[in-house]
Amino acid sequence: MAGGKRPTGNAALRSEVPGVDHCLQEAMTIPGAVGASIVDYTTGFPVATTGAAPNEDHEAAAAGTAEVVQAASSRSLFVSAVPHDLLEDLIITTAGGYHLLRLVHTEFDSRLVLYVWLDRVRGNLAVARRKMQRLADELVARR
Amino acid sequence: MSTLTWKERPVAGTRTAAPGDLLTQVAGARQTGALMVGGHPKGAVYVFEGRVIYAESSSAPGVGELLTSSGRLAGRTWQSALDLGAPTSRVGRLLVEQGHLTQGELELCVLGATYDAAYFVLADRTAPVEFRPGVTHWLGPVVHIDAAAVDREVGRRIRLLDEIFPNPLIDVAPVIPVTRPPRERVTVTARQWELLVQADGQRTPADLAQLLGRAGYAIIQELRRMAAAGLIEPPEIRTADTRELIRLPQPRGSSVPVITGPEPSSRHPPPEGRKPEASRPEVSRPVAEASRPVAEASRPEVSRPVAEASRPPGEQRPPGEHNNAPVRPPRLARRKPGAKLPKEMAGEAPPVHQGADEVLLKRIRTALRALR
Repeated sequence: MAGGKRPTGNAALRSEVPGVDHCLQEAMTIPGAVGASIVDYTTGFPVATTGAAPNEDHEAAAAGTAEVVQAASSRSLFVSAVPHDLLEDLIITTAGGYHLLRLVHTEFDSRLVLYVWLDRVRGNLAVARRKMQRLADELVARR
Repeated sequence: MSTLTWKERPVAGTRTAAPGDLLTQVAGARQTGALMVGGHPKGAVYVFEGRVIYAESSSAPGVGELLTSSGRLAGRTWQSALDLGAPTSRVGRLLVEQGHLTQGELELCVLGATYDAAYFVLADRTAPVEFRPGVTHWLGPVVHIDAAAVDREVGRRIRLLDEIFPNPLIDVAPVIPVTRPPRERVTVTARQWELLVQADGQRTPADLAQLLGRAGYAIIQELRRMAAAGLIEPPEIRTADTRELIRLPQPRGSSVPVITGPEPSSRHPPPEGRKPEASRPEVSRPVAEASRPVAEASRPEVSRPVAEASRPPGEQRPPGEHNNAPVRPPRLARRKPGAKLPKEMAGEAPPVHQGADEVLLKRIRTALRALR
């Protein structure tokens, strides 16, 4: 409560949790990765984080991530009318970086998205996207 | 939770703190145990060496409900893991070791369920709370969350809800979809659709969360959005409606036998749940308004019928004045199915009643079996 903003986001990660922790470590091996997190997009809460975040604030980044996902999944412009044509990734590019969001579809009820921030010069969008797809699927055992 | 009783003596000096503050205090001391929070809804936060490992609340589906209601785990798979792992507090680890879940799934599920329940457990800062040292959860330590992070996230979630639509009654009141949407074209999300389909006017948000296997907070969030969009009835109107329904039998009031004896309260039928005048001060009356019918009812009403008769027929009585109160038990807050009556109401000898129900059920069951 009284503490700064940083420690909270890392809370789940700092402890010994191989599953989620491992996923984020793997995400950081993507060429050009600067930071990664798993975000609950209904509440904008970073469930686990690692590395850097835009503006050094994982919580603000998570809140922003949630807004983007909500916009894409609830506005009719992006929602497909075809059944089971679910949202997969969201990619935002800036002059300096890539922001990749991959939805993690668990069978039980959850609303999670894997977020990776890539350096524009070192990162490769296609490679990163493939890797993130694999990571999100491995996390919940979909192959 | 069911194995723990509330009758044990609370830990000294922890009774007055708000649940969130006590959690921070316990975490600071690197303790292991369970923070039991009473009130409505009831719940608990489990702390292992100062870090939160799990939380549960009657308003939020637990890990078991989330995994089985979604079909991720078969009911018997969950049950066998529970039977095998519960005594040694390693149900979570067992599910991963037996290959039913990946470590990632388990962690994400526990994290989600914990933050969800923590919201309901810690949001009410006035709820009674006590810390039970040494108590662990059968799930076992799967995740370790910073207690301060949990408390801060709860505060943030409360603010998020108020930004959507500031009416906390929506979170607990039975959900009633409006019969006529307030506009020509209505857009609902898939989750809102689920809620509208299952809302039957009786189910509370907690019931819907359990039924759908969805996070309790996510349900409340959608309900607040739908309330903001005018798709569900605001709870205040609902209470007014209920009152009207209760008041319907009012015309019968005149045909009720008028009690004129010296001890009117002792002659009242038991289901009305009233105590004689002498014992009234012992009854705790939490809300002034709720106590009013009780006070009115037990007052000797020798002169009352006369007063009523002398009233001009056209005159409308203010709703607060229940002149026919003797025939009607005091109004209670809506309870969930199966919930216990408040103490002051339940004090009238409920065991007899329950026993009778059991016997009756058994007889019905036997009769049905004979018919087959």
